[in-house]
Amino acid sequence: MANRKERQRFERLMMGHLDGAYNLALWLVREPAEAEDIVQTAYMRAFEHFHTFTGGNAAGWIMTIVRNTAYNWLNKQKRNSNLISFDEVLHSHEPDNRKQLTPEEAVSINARSSQLMEQMERLPVEFREALFLREIEGYSYKEIAEITQVPKGTVMSRLSRGRGQLQNLLLEQQKRRQQNGM
Amino acid sequence: MVCNEIQQNIEAYLDGELTLSDRRDFEEHLGNCNNCQLRLEAVRKLNTSIKKIGYSSRPSGLKRNIRAGLLDLSGEDSPGFNWSQLLGFSGASALFAGVGVWLVMGVMINSPLQLAHTDELISAHVRSLMVDHMTDIASSDRHTVKPWFNGKLDFSPNVVDFKDHGYPLVGGRLDYLKGRPTAALIYKRRAHVINLFVRKADTPAQITTMQLIQHQGYQLLNWQERGLTYTLVSDLNSKELQAFANKLQP
Ligand SMILES: [Zn+2]
Repeated sequence: MANRKERQRFERLMMGHLDGAYNLALWLVREPAEAEDIVQTAYMRAFEHFHTFTGGNAAGWIMTIVRNTAYNWLNKQKRNSNLISFDEVLHSHEPDNRKQLTPEEAVSINARSSQLMEQMERLPVEFREALFLREIEGYSYKEIAEITQVPKGTVMSRLSRGRGQLQNLLLEQQKRRQQNGM
Repeated sequence: MVCNEIQQNIEAYLDGELTLSDRRDFEEHLGNCNNCQLRLEAVRKLNTSIKKIGYSSRPSGLKRNIRAGLLDLSGEDSPGFNWSQLLGFSGASALFAGVGVWLVMGVMINSPLQLAHTDELISAHVRSLMVDHMTDIASSDRHTVKPWFNGKLDFSPNVVDFKDHGYPLVGGRLDYLKGRPTAALIYKRRAHVINLFVRKADTPAQITTMQLIQHQGYQLLNWQERGLTYTLVSDLNSKELQAFANKLQP
């Protein structure tokens, strides 16, 4: 039966990326239950549109659907709560209003994963996404540009500003810890 | 090359995105510049600690739920399922053309098929989400829930638990919709609450196709069968709600 063959082919190509898909959703929405739901929805959607997958990078294909589903959810949340979010276009020509750390300061940063994740959550979601795809998944700039549907230059700027802001946040956190004698 | 140019390339260098010749220039400068070395070291250190975060383990049921969803969608384990019946009219051809159900929903929303009392059903669903409003009889046992409706309704709703399929029965409730006593059966899908409203049909003899309506972020699935009108209401995604509707139909 054709349906069955399609489903088996889908599972063979896509199920192996479930950990990456779930963690991407988790990094984006930060709520395990929502991330689970988003991945489930994304996989159902992906299967429905499986005919549009013409071979090639299966991981990139499913990741795109997962992140789009996550952004739909985030946009819905934003509408519901009237949150004003970071506007990348508006701010892209301003320097980040954070000072550039000295090399000595930057290299003095030591963060455990939990501390790092705590600060990571304070970054704009687009920066977090780029960092996840680069550092956790190991994608190239070109692949990240395809998954997130932006030019390569935007990927580079997101990564760079994400890392810069993280260093600032981590240093502040570290200073607070030291002040508190921890 | 001056430090400024070099420092702009630190990340591209670490990310393996420099061309061979840029890479050579970069490394040559680095060998003679402590300042740039230190900056490189700082970014490398940050990257390493990000990598160390690694994966969180995914929920144990996720893979199983996706498999079940795929089986539902591919129609392998549900011989009674009929897309054209579900979608009706032009909706079916849109689906088969690969346009997808969300477009079909758009058609439905603007069509005269829209339920007259969509808002009332959604309100009833939202009310049920309030603390202590979900169930009048909280039980996952169909043999407890079904008799509870005796004498409260002028019909006897069929009550089935779909726990094995990931849609456990939570309980029952008596509502009044359009001034008519209505059985509300409450199911869950993960953290999502699903209300199944069952009431006497306005025009019992009429045969209707299943309707899918999206409104205010909720999904409603409505159909009529043997003189009763059934409506599912939930914020669950429409795919899984349809899969559930399919199970509810004998
Ligand atoms: Zn230098």
